[in-house]
Amino acid sequence: MAGTTQRSPAARIVNYALQAVCYAAFIGVVGYFATSPPYVHLPEGQALVKLTFQHAGQRKEACHERTPEELAKLAPNMRAATVCPRERAPVAVEIEMDGKPLFAVVAPPTGLSKDGASTVYRRLAIPAGEHRFVAKMKDTVAGDFGFVGSRTVDLKSGRILVIDFDAKDGWVFRG
Amino acid sequence: MLKAIQHAGQAAFLGVERLFNRIFGDEQNPFYYLGAIAYYLLWVVVGSGLYLYIFFQTGVSEAYASVEYLTREQWWLGGILRSFHRYASDAMVLAMVLHLVRHYAFDHYRSFRWFSWVSGLILLWLTYITGINGYMLPWDQTAQFVTVATAEWLDWLPVFQGALIRNFITPEAINDRLFSLLSFLHIGFPLGVLALLWVHTQRVPGAKTTPPRPVWIGVTLALLVLSLVKPAVSGPAADLTAAPMVIPIDWFYLPVYPLIYLWSPGAVWLVVGGATLLLLALPWLPPKRASRDDLHLMVHPDNRIIPARPGETILEAVLREGIAFPYECRNGGCGQCKCTVLYGPVEQGPHQESALSADERAKGMVLACSATPTADIEIEYLPLALPGGVRPREYAAKVVAMHKATSDVMIVTLRVEGGEPIRFYAGQYINIMLPDGEQRSFSFATAPHVNDEIELQIRHIAGGRFTTHVFAAMKVGDTVRFEGPLGSFFLREDSQKPIIFVAGATGFAPVKSMVEHAFHVGMKRKMILYWGVRSLSDLYCPDLPKQWAALHPNFTFVPVLSAPQPADQWTGRTGLVHEAILADFPNLAGHQIYACGSAKMVEAAHPAFKSHGLQQDDCFSDAFRLAPHLQRKTEDADMVKLGGTR
Repeated sequence: MAGTTQRSPAARIVNYALQAVCYAAFIGVVGYFATSPPYVHLPEGQALVKLTFQHAGQRKEACHERTPEELAKLAPNMRAATVCPRERAPVAVEIEMDGKPLFAVVAPPTGLSKDGASTVYRRLAIPAGEHRFVAKMKDTVAGDFGFVGSRTVDLKSGRILVIDFDAKDGWVFRG
Repeated sequence: MLKAIQHAGQAAFLGVERLFNRIFGDEQNPFYYLGAIAYYLLWVVVGSGLYLYIFFQTGVSEAYASVEYLTREQWWLGGILRSFHRYASDAMVLAMVLHLVRHYAFDHYRSFRWFSWVSGLILLWLTYITGINGYMLPWDQTAQFVTVATAEWLDWLPVFQGALIRNFITPEAINDRLFSLLSFLHIGFPLGVLALLWVHTQRVPGAKTTPPRPVWIGVTLALLVLSLVKPAVSGPAADLTAAPMVIPIDWFYLPVYPLIYLWSPGAVWLVVGGATLLLLALPWLPPKRASRDDLHLMVHPDNRIIPARPGETILEAVLREGIAFPYECRNGGCGQCKCTVLYGPVEQGPHQESALSADERAKGMVLACSATPTADIEIEYLPLALPGGVRPREYAAKVVAMHKATSDVMIVTLRVEGGEPIRFYAGQYINIMLPDGEQRSFSFATAPHVNDEIELQIRHIAGGRFTTHVFAAMKVGDTVRFEGPLGSFFLREDSQKPIIFVAGATGFAPVKSMVEHAFHVGMKRKMILYWGVRSLSDLYCPDLPKQWAALHPNFTFVPVLSAPQPADQWTGRTGLVHEAILADFPNLAGHQIYACGSAKMVEAAHPAFKSHGLQQDDCFSDAFRLAPHLQRKTEDADMVKLGGTR
């Protein structure tokens, strides 16, 4: 068994030196891969557009009054005169940059009854520089884009433009 | 294909370990302690983390500032401990992954090992979660990247659908409570790691949770050097209005993070989830081993029959049964667990050639840590330490009295030369050493407190070399040499369960030692002795247990004759001794049984007792041969301890 072999002092020194080399290799591996090689998350000359919003589309159908015949078919405790379908319209969004389409999405409503808010998050890398952004949203089944916003932004390399939507203020550009 | 990968892995590990054996010695080879090193590094991480936690402040700007303070202003302790915290965490992942890969390469993840494999994988996951969570705390650009990337990755899941990232979209979205939550998680997850690690190691008999001192000192010094040479530092403070562009990423914890952007969050979920499920399922995937029934090991010098699970190494089986078997590396490298296979087939698994020479292999020796029985086997090992740290050694003793109890039972009293008392446990035995080196085993019939004289009860075996000598030639004044004390068949005093002693013929000797010891220490547990012999004349000292019963209300004596003679005029219990016990105790749960007699008796009794509710941990037997071996021999010829084999 090597572990119990008696070694000369010189051999022991060599052995300790070899152990030191092994430990140096160990910390070399740990120390190097703890930070290297670096990861280029966003190349120089690029900026980010982050489109994010949570918005509930309009109801797909408007509320309506039940007819006496419809009411008669229901159980007595279920005879509400007004019925409001819960399902909401999907939210359609288009983003243009410098007059060209950058991103478009139709976000369905969440929830089992499709009555929740539509949520969108998208991370888009673009060349840094001055750009004009136009954001459009349609939250009804029919009709055109009801919410339109625009902003010209000078995005430096690595900067982030957040395009958010607020039901009260409309499109918000932060960046 | 999988076999080829495993063989390549085994060759790689054995090659590296051979090299490290030359450098570190086979008992201090770090590759043999990967699990223990991971355990040790966890304590380093916990210890350093507790210090950092004292100074860490849970606020948006305070988090970064407090870590900067530790790193720059208090570099001499806080900075070094931060580096320790970081690098020990990285080294821990490295050790855990190597530990896992080694077990895979050596096929140590199937069958009963599935629990260790699965709990180890969960541990790895928890460690990753803890580490990723930890990277969020300093709130520098790396923290920002990790936080945002984690949110973007999780947001792919239907439950979030883009809602989570909105908490990290602008500087205004972040508040101090986030850091309280992150700190809370950074304490909670490590507690989970510790709890599961405890379970993980408890399931492995004799698992080492601390590496040898030179190894942990070496690892600690190495981490200290690394902390001084390349201190862990923060990058620029996080700024959610700008994206971190080049990140000094930790590849031990964050290797999949670049893939979130290179592929997509969904693809990374698919790869990570798929890989996890595949690894979790590995123990049950083909190629499957041929299933075997549970096996039994007869272990000398303990003279214990123990069960072994399919695929279990000899060392795992004996450690699980609490046998004080010598071992060190558990990886076929040091040779400490060498033992001799007396009977039965074993598969000797991969090991270092230096740990087991060709000569030793030719003599039937194996490395218990890497040898797996494929049928019932009988082994012998050299005990290094016995219960209570009483080490066996050689003694010389004089025969001071001889008394023929019956025509074939001689009671021999020995006194150790020099008047030196011998320490032993009630129930243990000695090996009488014959001039040619052969040995004969006999139990102490005296209790440990009577340590100036040793009583042996020796039954004459027809044709037996030593027992014939005892009956024909031995006389008072003769000198005998013996080795002892030996064996792990001894009275367990840490239980309150009633005891049933089962003695067959001269199996009464160790029972006498245990009962007298119990009386001596004032044990109040209920004790019943069933002494089974053929006829009344074989009951060589019937008055003694009757006296015990008269003097001690907690003791009962039940003699059982299997073949009473007409002259005996026997009106007591008859039949096999274990059947008498089963008739009296239909339910043995809650009892301890100490059985000492022929292998035939123990072989018949053991499964019968178990089927009547006796727990494996409460069954202590002192039989002398395994069944397959026994079948080819007579009962007498197999009685090692009751009078020798020849």
